[in-house]
Amino acid sequence: MLSRTALSRAAQLAARRQGSAQLRGYAAAAGSSIPTSFAYETADVAGVKVATRDSRGPTTKLAVVAKAGTRYEPAPGLTVGLEEFAFKNTASRSALRIVREAELLGGQLAAYHTREALVIEASFLREDIPYFTELLAEVISQTKYTTFEFHEEVERVLHIKQARLASDVSALALDAAHAVAFHSGLGASLYPSPSTPLKGYVSENTIADYAGAVYNKSNIALIGDGATPQALHKWTEQFFKATPSSATSSLRLDSKASTYYGGEQRTSHTGGNALVLAFPGSSFDAFKPEIAVLTALLGGQPNVKWSPGFSVLSKATSTAPSVNASASNLTYSDAGLLAIQINGAAASVRKTAEEAVNALKNIAAGTISKEDLTKAVAKAKFDALDASQSGVATLLSAGSGIVQTGKPFQVVETVQSINGVTAEKLQTAAKALLDGKATVTAVGDLHVLPYAEELGLKSTSLRVPFLVYNLSNLEPQTQTPETAISFASTPVSILLQSSNATVHPNNHLKHIPQATVKMVFAWKAAGLTYNRYLTVAARVVRRSLKEDKRVAAERRGEMDLRFAKWENGKMGEPKNLADANAAAAVESANKGGA
Amino acid sequence: MSYPSLAPFVLKRPWLRNFLTPLAGWYANAAGYRQLGLRADDLIIEENEDVLKALQRLPAQDAYDRVYRLRRAIQCSVTHKLLPKDQWTKPEDDVPYLTPILEQIRAAEKEKESLDSLTIVKGH
Repeated sequence: MLSRTALSRAAQLAARRQGSAQLRGYAAAAGSSIPTSFAYETADVAGVKVATRDSRGPTTKLAVVAKAGTRYEPAPGLTVGLEEFAFKNTASRSALRIVREAELLGGQLAAYHTREALVIEASFLREDIPYFTELLAEVISQTKYTTFEFHEEVERVLHIKQARLASDVSALALDAAHAVAFHSGLGASLYPSPSTPLKGYVSENTIADYAGAVYNKSNIALIGDGATPQALHKWTEQFFKATPSSATSSLRLDSKASTYYGGEQRTSHTGGNALVLAFPGSSFDAFKPEIAVLTALLGGQPNVKWSPGFSVLSKATSTAPSVNASASNLTYSDAGLLAIQINGAAASVRKTAEEAVNALKNIAAGTISKEDLTKAVAKAKFDALDASQSGVATLLSAGSGIVQTGKPFQVVETVQSINGVTAEKLQTAAKALLDGKATVTAVGDLHVLPYAEELGLKSTSLRVPFLVYNLSNLEPQTQTPETAISFASTPVSILLQSSNATVHPNNHLKHIPQATVKMVFAWKAAGLTYNRYLTVAARVVRRSLKEDKRVAAERRGEMDLRFAKWENGKMGEPKNLADANAAAAVESANKGGA
Repeated sequence: MSYPSLAPFVLKRPWLRNFLTPLAGWYANAAGYRQLGLRADDLIIEENEDVLKALQRLPAQDAYDRVYRLRRAIQCSVTHKLLPKDQWTKPEDDVPYLTPILEQIRAAEKEKESLDSLTIVKGH
């Protein structure tokens, strides 16, 4: 006889088992299909590209992503200025009101930029979507760009941020690496340094012009995270009506394709030491799985807290104390940069850099173990998925994807290709990096920090222009080093080295006499003493004076000094000093001519 | 500098405005500042936070011209002379250049004050 309780218990168990069979498994999350609530739905609403995804949370994040990062700015500082002008006075309400109203609704407003995108973002409670959609539309199309706000707020904040950047050596080194690797475009500084000349480029008028060129329907995307498409589409249609459909100012965006150049740059700094070794990396439009695996293999970031980790760079730093080293692939729409960033004490940075390059060489030689490769592939996959939040693009990457290519960047497809990376592919990729031109930038104690060639990397040889001032015609002439030598040997020419570019001891400048590179003065090179050099110069100046002035000046120079040599206790013949001087000048001129 | 003003009342009524405009012109000329080359806005007392802020926001050229007019007027006052008649401020030049900025600053100040002292109105 079965008891009643036993029966019901069995029934319960059975029911539970059945229920569990219907539960969806989590294992498929990294697979090819993404749950629909994670993917962005894109649509064209009244000319504006709108992407939404509804994760059904209580909050919403709404952002206008504009193709207006530093790579597109036609003059330095415009992107930064436009970012600072976000949420300032508009035609219909004041900056103060915007902030207070957002506070009342519990919203958060933010504006930031990357090298490619300018993002104006609002996070708020789900039901406030109409208010914030209207606000974003207003900010991009009705901001007044007033003179007093520029002087009283934008400019002041700009200077403070510049000062902060100037003391951050790793940011400076990374910025320099971009400049050397990509020159203009992506190479434009992410934030203008305090020594960047901004006068004439950044003013409320130029920023307003830039806004006119940038904030139009073809150049922006509206991204809503946590909003239903119906709601967002409805309010977008209503509020973004006034946004212009094409550029309203004549300012042209700098939108040429990126090219990798590579090279070396060194900057003295007292605030720390940073070294960046960079190579062409993988971009959004051409994903290179080998680069992703190589980045993961180099690593640097520990997997377990308080332990240095076991990646290649972690091992390199374990012997050199107080040093941070990490590898990352900085991905842009049409180019990428695989950057190894090292900072810490100068000697340790040097040592770590040497070991990092050696490690790269080992990878290129194919001495990587199978276990390490498996580890790197797994880490690369995790990094790709983790950075994009469970396999879908984040707000920023979705937005940049839409404004650049028309669809959000989806990482999931790329994850599949990482699986296909073999040891051979990795070896070829590492070899290609080492054979190509590297980008090496050093900021800090240059006495210790290494040159690219010392590390065994190929860097570009720079052709350093010289400015030669010839006293006979006093016109600056740009000379190549070869012709500069001949000028240096003539008595009256002053050689000025006009470039702060790095003069590398091992590049083509090596055939220049050491004296030229050390900036020895021409009079010294000609074998004159300083006194005689002054005499010659004074005589030239006096002779060039007008007649009356010249007579007076020459009278001042008249002297009647006599001198005699004493030998063996007897005074020699007394001589006039002026005559002896003239005779000596003639003699030395003859010697110089011969 | 807030004082009761009849100006809005007058401006709303064209007949009254037409009647008073010549009178106002006569008064402005009789006040004597135009004979020293000044404008009405030069007479605003500047020992005041709002006015100082407004002066800072003046465009460079306006600020320069203002200082020039003031110095010229002081010189006239010291020497007990009026300017030659052709240098008197013409009525069409006597436009408010500082007042709009001042009004803007006062409006911002007023808005700030009202936002600082919000009262909660219950919705039920």
